[in-house]
Amino acid sequence: MVLEAQNLTKQFNGKGGFKEVTLSVEKGQVFGFLGPNGAGKSTFVKTMVGLLHPTSGFAWILEKPIGTVESREKVGFLPENFRYHDWMTGKELLSFHAELYKIKNPGKKIDELLELVKLKGHENKLIKNYSKGMQQRIGIAIALLNDPEIVFLDEPTSALDPVGRIEVREIIKQLKSQGKTVFLNSHLLSEVEMVCDEVAIINHGRIIAEGKLEELLKEHTHVEMIVSDYTTELIEKISHLSKEFQFKEGKLSFKVEDKEKIPLIAKMVIEAGAKLYQLNTQTSSLEDLFINLIGKDEMS
Amino acid sequence: MITIIKYTFKEMLKKRAFLLVSILSLLYLSIYAFGLSRIFEHPSNSIYDIIFQSQILSAGLFFANFIVAFLVVLTSVNAISGEIESGTIYSILSKPIKRYELVLGKFIGLSIMIVLYSSIMFLSVVGLNIWFGSKISFGWDNILKGLFFFDLGPIVFLALIIASSSIFSTINTGIIAIMAYGIALVGGVLEQIGTAMQQSQVGAFGLKSGESLINAGIITSLILPTDVIYRKMTAELLTQSSGISFMTQGLFGGMSQPSIYMFIYIFFYVVFLLYYGAKRFSQRDL
Ligand SMILES: Nc1ncnc2c1ncn2[C@@H]1O[C@H](COP(=O)(O)OP(=O)(O)OP(=O)(O)O)[C@@H](O)[C@H]1O
Ligand SMILES: [Mg+2]
Repeated sequence: MVLEAQNLTKQFNGKGGFKEVTLSVEKGQVFGFLGPNGAGKSTFVKTMVGLLHPTSGFAWILEKPIGTVESREKVGFLPENFRYHDWMTGKELLSFHAELYKIKNPGKKIDELLELVKLKGHENKLIKNYSKGMQQRIGIAIALLNDPEIVFLDEPTSALDPVGRIEVREIIKQLKSQGKTVFLNSHLLSEVEMVCDEVAIINHGRIIAEGKLEELLKEHTHVEMIVSDYTTELIEKISHLSKEFQFKEGKLSFKVEDKEKIPLIAKMVIEAGAKLYQLNTQTSSLEDLFINLIGKDEMS
Repeated sequence: MITIIKYTFKEMLKKRAFLLVSILSLLYLSIYAFGLSRIFEHPSNSIYDIIFQSQILSAGLFFANFIVAFLVVLTSVNAISGEIESGTIYSILSKPIKRYELVLGKFIGLSIMIVLYSSIMFLSVVGLNIWFGSKISFGWDNILKGLFFFDLGPIVFLALIIASSSIFSTINTGIIAIMAYGIALVGGVLEQIGTAMQQSQVGAFGLKSGESLINAGIITSLILPTDVIYRKMTAELLTQSSGISFMTQGLFGGMSQPSIYMFIYIFFYVVFLLYYGAKRFSQRDL
């Protein structure tokens, strides 16, 4: 495991933060960490990179306990409120951070990264004179300086234009293809949906769902059917196979956890001698799932 | 840590405060030089001349020391706290470095700059006095010892500021620094007055209140021993190896010499402050 947390808790005087988080992220995954504002995403990431001390529990990065220097050796981090020494030029800033990583002869790497984050030509400008988006770009470059095994990106596109967002998506895919692990904090669900293999959803500091993205989404296929000549027995059978079942004058609406249930239900309808006029399925988006789960969590 | 030292030093040179204090220093040295040129216009040979000249030197060093202290405050109050307040700390401490390395690196980087600056100020003031024909004879050992203690004071002050900046906000560190410096200054004066009262033997009352003033002075020098070090500097600079002292009892020169225990205390004072500051900083949530 590249990252592992066991019952990890960080609270500020008994409030905020996150509680009893147990998580593991495999090598080569793009892991999406989702949650509404104030859910505890940034607190979690800052705890992992040693900026915050956990209240209780344990966690490891690349088998090294968090908080140690060794645990940060192969880690890259883009903070949410990225701010860099503004009296340096872009190039000086990258050299400074390369030195902090004790990288020898970082010149080539710096050039590569400037190219990657599209800051070539701006490297001799003072950070002071960078736009916010440019500062976030150089932040991404800094996070990749040491060829990290795992990169924590806390809302990496918050200051970027639409093209920049696509570029970051490409960078993430590229990292994945190199076998790197990416831990992505975001509430831009469409973005997460495009790049993540696995997600965890956190609300009020607690994980309320976790798993492979496709599996989480598969659980919630929405089906609409229009039937006639049905028996109440048939309707009852279908309602047992599904969730959130609604039925009104020949119109059925429900969700199934397993797509394989859809042909099964269709077969049942035919075999019961009913007429099937329409069958629509719709895989719910991550957004539906998110709203649904958060909504349920708020109710309980 | 070398990286931190290097970049702390670089950053300092780019700070506006540094430029400001440099201009102030140049201005001060020019005025001082002008003053000296007028004073030494009509040389005479009386003993009062030497006393007067040692006063001029002491005053020159006193204000130079003050300017250095000003520089220390302006450039160092935000050494750590500023990185936290601006958020630049996140990308530094998420690197594979220990937190104490940042504290110590900042301290060393700033120390180098301050020692250089302070030495230039000291040598300029002493040099100007020699140049204009002061009758105080300085040996190299006087100057070197004086220089050592002239530089030591600001470093001790820096240790206090760095420790505070690792624990508190920039504003609070500023308040702590100025208060500590003020207390040390007042305490030093009290101790001098106390010593004077005891020596002038103004009866039992004088002896007693003299003693309590000295005690008050000692306590303040425990809080921040800059004034003690400053007095040691004057003593080293003005006491000849032959034992003849040019020290006078003026406002800017001290008469009561600090003991060796004071210097052992000062050593542990610096070590403890840096240790404690780094420790508290390591425990902080950022
Ligand atoms: N230093 C702190 N002191 C006290 N409370 C804090 C501190 N940092 C965070 N919190 C609290 O912890 C909770 C989680 O904050 P966090 O910044 O982790 O949220 P987030 O999920 O990153 O939100 P966002 O999407 O807005 O970035 C919030 O309720 C916040 O008020
Ligand atoms: Mg956040």
